Amino acid sequence: MEWTKSKLLGIAALSILFLGGICLVILPSGDERAFGIETPEADANASAKPEKVLKIATPNVIKSESLVGDYYLGIFAHLSNFPLMQMSEDGKIIGRLADHYEVSEDHKEWTFYIRDDLYWSDGVKVTPEDVRFSMLYYGEKDPAGRWINDTLESSSISETNNSVTFKFNKPYTRIDLEFTTYMIIPRHIWESIENPMEYSSKGPYVGCGPYYIESVDLNTARLIFQKNPYWKGKTCTFDKVEVDWYASEDAACLALEKGEADTYYKYASSYPYANIERLEKTGDFSFVEKDSTGICYLGITLNEAPRSDLRFREALAYAINYEELMQLDTLGYGSVPNKGLVPPGMEYYKPTEKCTYDPEKAREILKKAGYEDRNGNGIVEDKKGKDILLELMICPGYERDAELFQEYFRAVGIDIEVENVDQNTYMDRKDTSRYELVFSRTTPWGMLMHSGLGTGYFDSRRYGYIEDPAFTGLCDQILNTTDSDTLCSCAYSLQDYYAEELPVIPVYWKKVVTPYNKKFEGWHYNNLDGIYTLDTFLDLHEV
Amino acid sequence: MRYEAGATFEGNTLKTVSGTMREVVRKTLRYATSFLLIISLNFALPRLMPGDPVKNLIGEDVYVSEAVMEELRIEMGLNRPLYEQFTAYIGDLLRFNLGYSYHLHSPVAEVLRERIGWTLLFVGVSIFLGAALGTLLGAYAGWKPETKANRLICYGFIALSCTPPYFLALICLDIFAFELGLFPFKGFYDVPTPGSVMYHMFLPVTVMALFSASRNFLIMRGSVIQEKGQLYALYARAKGLYDISILFRHVIKNASLPIITLLALDFGFLFSGALFTEIVFSLNGMGTLIYDAIIGKDYPVLQGSFLVIALAVLLANMLADLLYAIADPRVRRPT
Repeated sequence: MEWTKSKLLGIAALSILFLGGICLVILPSGDERAFGIETPEADANASAKPEKVLKIATPNVIKSESLVGDYYLGIFAHLSNFPLMQMSEDGKIIGRLADHYEVSEDHKEWTFYIRDDLYWSDGVKVTPEDVRFSMLYYGEKDPAGRWINDTLESSSISETNNSVTFKFNKPYTRIDLEFTTYMIIPRHIWESIENPMEYSSKGPYVGCGPYYIESVDLNTARLIFQKNPYWKGKTCTFDKVEVDWYASEDAACLALEKGEADTYYKYASSYPYANIERLEKTGDFSFVEKDSTGICYLGITLNEAPRSDLRFREALAYAINYEELMQLDTLGYGSVPNKGLVPPGMEYYKPTEKCTYDPEKAREILKKAGYEDRNGNGIVEDKKGKDILLELMICPGYERDAELFQEYFRAVGIDIEVENVDQNTYMDRKDTSRYELVFSRTTPWGMLMHSGLGTGYFDSRRYGYIEDPAFTGLCDQILNTTDSDTLCSCAYSLQDYYAEELPVIPVYWKKVVTPYNKKFEGWHYNNLDGIYTLDTFLDLHEV
Repeated sequence: MRYEAGATFEGNTLKTVSGTMREVVRKTLRYATSFLLIISLNFALPRLMPGDPVKNLIGEDVYVSEAVMEELRIEMGLNRPLYEQFTAYIGDLLRFNLGYSYHLHSPVAEVLRERIGWTLLFVGVSIFLGAALGTLLGAYAGWKPETKANRLICYGFIALSCTPPYFLALICLDIFAFELGLFPFKGFYDVPTPGSVMYHMFLPVTVMALFSASRNFLIMRGSVIQEKGQLYALYARAKGLYDISILFRHVIKNASLPIITLLALDFGFLFSGALFTEIVFSLNGMGTLIYDAIIGKDYPVLQGSFLVIALAVLLANMLADLLYAIADPRVRRPT
């Protein structure tokens, strides 16, 4: 056969067209819906029972089919396997699987009264024994839950009260908050599974919420919830909830714009700020815009001069152009913070003095505090006459912010060396306070850790560096009470401490923006779960 | 005289056989040494990375006491001295046990089995298509580089080979899935049928095949340009052969040697997946598995994945040696 150029090109082009063609032609047998092709069978199904499906796009990738072992599957499963408690829209901790709770005066004994209208999706009633089984399991197997095992003295069940009591060997005041994260699993199913953490299945998983997990498929990147036939609560509008995960945030945004999903959910995060305008232009989406309880901050270890000098830290705080950094990182979906660190969305928020950018004042403070540029090289010297050079640690993604910090601090005479380290080194060094300055962020859950109000990040007994008894004492007071008045007064004092002592400089507060399909209304939001709350699934309906 | 000639012939044959044997032994030793080195590197590399696997397992913003961390270290065997960890690792390998994933809560062999199948499907098809397309077009472009069409194709492939894979994949997703709505955004399938799989695979396979083709095209084109100036090509023309016959019967055989090398290298890629394509199209393949294992310091998964890739590359190199010998008789001659 004679080979010619046109033949070769023709074969190449035809091969591609042929393969593409095959894909398009074969498809209707496998996936009618995605292609919008109506087959008689599909029509018959459609007329028999039009299924209402709520579709959620997320960049939170489920990596294994293990309900107990996979982080994000565990988060999504809160819809089917309730935790004991949940956060309300105003940031209070209220019951979810538990109706209410009681705590002894010494804060060692916690009794949770279980709702009596809950049934697992196989028809078995939810019992306090399920709760006890789940908690003991987490205490034994889950590293993050090991504290339960270490401190639980005994547990008991009361069938008459439908309650479970946990008795700890030390006082706990925030168990209600801790129990917002541990989902309850049915004992009658899981007790025969030797190691639930290692158990994985494509589903179904028995659940007690309005929906149960019908399937989780890593190859389709889809998690499907079906209605729980034994759900006695408020009837949900949707027959099915589909969570579609995308490994790329860009792909998730494109899918949403295309109308492949009704909303977007990323745990503890916003829809990408840069894509909001594009999505808005489609005209199909509205947005829930809330203050995030996660913030960005500049951490300053206080172990050495000049960082241990309050006046030096004040100068640093005045040198930062908050507005510019906020605009750069949040494109305007944020605000200049108060010196008190805690953002307005949090319970016990106290309005403190706003952070201000005033480089002239920064220079003045430095001069008054004895940090002067005596050798005229543009950098002020410390008390020993040495040029001040601080190391700013960042992780990849914060390079531009670091450059700006460098610019701001150099403008007032403080030299900065940026140390860009990989994520693992960053986490390791940050959590052990092995740095001079760090630019970092907090998560909503992180802000609630320890005594709350960000203390978990800064108390030297946790992941922080503040050893001042005034601060640690306030943390202890919060940890020792459940009384709301005492909590409020301690929380206010703590915010005053942040504002006056500046052990950490808040850089900006940000907003969580979540898009949703205009066709539906009834979206709810809380600081911990975003829009992925039980109330959303119960109240959501077509406009 | 005849006897002498026969003896010389036999002597030559014996020499050739013993030479070939020597070559086989030499190569076997070389591959065995490489394999042992690879096993040691597989163990060492993950442990050279900064960060603590236990801290990673616990996750961000979760506080656990040092005692619990130590307990976990003991459970995972990370408290033992490195030489003990190494002997345990070798012992497990000898029992064909690749270990247990810290993060995926599954035996590594099981995780790899599932991921390799899908990765082979989409990367294998891409490499095959890329090799076929790139070689054929590259050969023709090298044979007649001065024509406008060939120049245009050449520019096109240069542009393709210079485009970052993530960017090209996103552009394809934007045009074919978002703008035209012809193909889906993610996953290997919607329902596990051949039609759905092909439909989902079309875009990622096209992107990767184009990449592979662009590299093969450029190498083949250069190789053919070099070969067509050789005397044997001139002789074939003098014999009266058509241009295209000279190209496909004589020149392509010699020009394809670099392509064989490239394909052997691509074989490792076959198992390591194509990270960026997998991320853009949300595919559950080897690329993302290795990436997540690196981020999460999942030593057993890293060791298992690297071992599979290394074995694949060794096998491909052995195949390439064989193909070289078939394509180029000079390689067969003992030195």
